[in-house]
Amino acid sequence: MRVEKSNLELKVGVFVAVGLLILVVFILLIGDFKTLSSGYRLNFTFHFINGVKIGAPVRFAGVDVGEVKNISLVTDGASTSVNVSVWVKKEVRIPADSRVWVNTLGLLGEKYVEIMPGTNSAAALEPDSVVKGNDPLAMHEVTETAGVLVNDIQDALNRIKRGEGTLGRLLFDDTLYREVDALVIDIRRNPWKLFWKTKEKSVRAPAER
Amino acid sequence: MLKNKLYIIGSKVLALLYFFGGLAILSGRALRWTFLAPLKRGRVLEQSRKAGVDSLPIVALISLFIGMIFTFQIAYLMQRLGSEMYIATIVALSLVRELGPVITALIVAGRVGAAITAEIGSMQVTEQIDALQTLSVSPVKYLVVPRLVALALMLPLLTLYADIIGIFGGYLICVYKLGISSTIYTKMTFDALLFKDIFTGLGKTIVFGMVIALVSCYEGFNVQGGSEGVGRATMKAVVTSFILIIATDCFFTALFYFIFP
Repeated sequence: MRVEKSNLELKVGVFVAVGLLILVVFILLIGDFKTLSSGYRLNFTFHFINGVKIGAPVRFAGVDVGEVKNISLVTDGASTSVNVSVWVKKEVRIPADSRVWVNTLGLLGEKYVEIMPGTNSAAALEPDSVVKGNDPLAMHEVTETAGVLVNDIQDALNRIKRGEGTLGRLLFDDTLYREVDALVIDIRRNPWKLFWKTKEKSVRAPAER
Repeated sequence: MLKNKLYIIGSKVLALLYFFGGLAILSGRALRWTFLAPLKRGRVLEQSRKAGVDSLPIVALISLFIGMIFTFQIAYLMQRLGSEMYIATIVALSLVRELGPVITALIVAGRVGAAITAEIGSMQVTEQIDALQTLSVSPVKYLVVPRLVALALMLPLLTLYADIIGIFGGYLICVYKLGISSTIYTKMTFDALLFKDIFTGLGKTIVFGMVIALVSCYEGFNVQGGSEGVGRATMKAVVTSFILIIATDCFFTALFYFIFP
């Protein structure tokens, strides 16, 4: 009886212990312990950030080096700008002339902050320094520009189709073709015409000289 | 004829109301006894073994298969979209948030809930419950509380096992069949999961465990007739547990969706 009972306790105990172990493993693997390691903050200002969220990755030369910690709107007089505060690992030195912009990742259109390293590695960004970011092009601006361009092309094509202008005549008017054709036939028949100077020309030529 | 139909509908509604009332009273009594009286450690352990340890093989087997099947089904779509990387994310999130808790609860309701109803039901039929009352031992304290506590504690643990084994099933398919690298699968899985995913998943199962224990005990106590009644009560307990588990799951999912967006 005594043995039976301790056996039961052992079974349940092992079950519970392994279950709790799984929970601990989950928590350790999920836990965001990299923020505990040391790093520094940088501030980027944009006019438009296209939906970057807090926690979005920051990539330096394509390598994940940190994440977005805070996003705040700054209204300064008439202009509105967005201040994106990011956390970057301590060992990463970012040249001061690096370019910063918002980029899109993968299928789900996840946004992240891209830093393209500059060339001047002598001057690195100091912690808490403020850098002006390049604004991403909003999609509607791209479509607007493309729309104007397409309208212009359409207009030109329509005029060509109607036979207007040099290109239009060349494509749809065969006068030039017939003239050239007649000329070639004429020259084949009378090759001497190539070397024959008309009287007016030969008379006028010396006068010009 | 019409009167007969009305009579049937009325009796069904009344039966439903009786069920809810009885279940609520039993829940109140069981919870009161759980916190008032000292727990009988041996009885809770015994029920924990029956509900938890003994259910582990079937839970492990089913969650392994669910993980594998689910991965194949997701892979079907994700390969067409050319984004196999996200298979791990979807498998992990759906297993931890939804499939793990609900499938574990359904297995336990079928396996342990049915056993509880049959056990208590046959005690009721053979008048052992009345004997307990004659000895001034509360059947709620003696029979319901250990089962309630054991199921409420064991179901979250079983769900943890189901989560990790299901993710392992997905890992097997992704790494050995779909050619996704082991590091990417692990990284995508644990990058996608948040604390709230695990805790909302586990929080639900505590309630599921209590639902299973209370419904099964209630049906056991309310057996009418002989062994045929025990059979009917067992079936009713399992069906009712299934319905209540899915209903509470829907409620909690909606609640968590708005509380922790």
